[in-house]
Amino acid sequence: MVHALERICDLLKSDGILLDIHPTNEMAAMAVRLQEQIIPAGWLNESDDYVEYEWADEALQHVVSSGQFALERVGTFEFVWHADSMSDLCAYLAEEWKDAIIDDMTAGRIEELLKLPVYDKEILVSEAIRIARYRRA
Amino acid sequence: MAVLLDPEDTETKALHDYADFNGKRVLEIGCGDGRLTWRYADRAASVTAIDPKVEDIEIAVDECPAELRHKIDFRVARLEELDSPTEKYDLALLSWSL
Repeated sequence: MVHALERICDLLKSDGILLDIHPTNEMAAMAVRLQEQIIPAGWLNESDDYVEYEWADEALQHVVSSGQFALERVGTFEFVWHADSMSDLCAYLAEEWKDAIIDDMTAGRIEELLKLPVYDKEILVSEAIRIARYRRA
Repeated sequence: MAVLLDPEDTETKALHDYADFNGKRVLEIGCGDGRLTWRYADRAASVTAIDPKVEDIEIAVDECPAELRHKIDFRVARLEELDSPTEKYDLALLSWSL
């Protein structure tokens, strides 16, 4: 990762900007929305416990410490996925996020909530995303 | 609807809050199927968008809006395979790819 950031530094103009967007290492929160009510249901985990995002943070810290980039601004935002059903969500995860894990208790709670006789309902998955702007130093 | 990603558009709002893409030469690393590229490319002067996955770049090329085709160069490439450009980039975007 450090090599990639060093390569980016070479490709940027002397005052160029690096904008990095990646999830934090927090588990994604799962909930069910029943009309206006949002009911927490559990968490979506990864088989490697989001370790790659910790590595990304460490690599970014390294290029700041070494004077290649200066951190100008950092924050987080919430990125939410909306799914109609567990089968839709699992099909999507199988394609796009292969090491995602939904434990049985969370899956069961979601299925129970989706069985409630409410017309307007969906599954929500909320990821905390880190966004940071760096300037080539 | 099967799965909808960020219909609230919080990612786009954050993207434009953190960077000014107007008239910039942008390098996007890990562009995937172009999901994020469409959200800023209209403002950029030019975009080089790379991803190592052939199938994702094929989708991005197919789905690229007509009005953006002249300014986005999608490439199947890893960062280390990218030749140094004659003119360097103003902005590099790591889109969920570090």
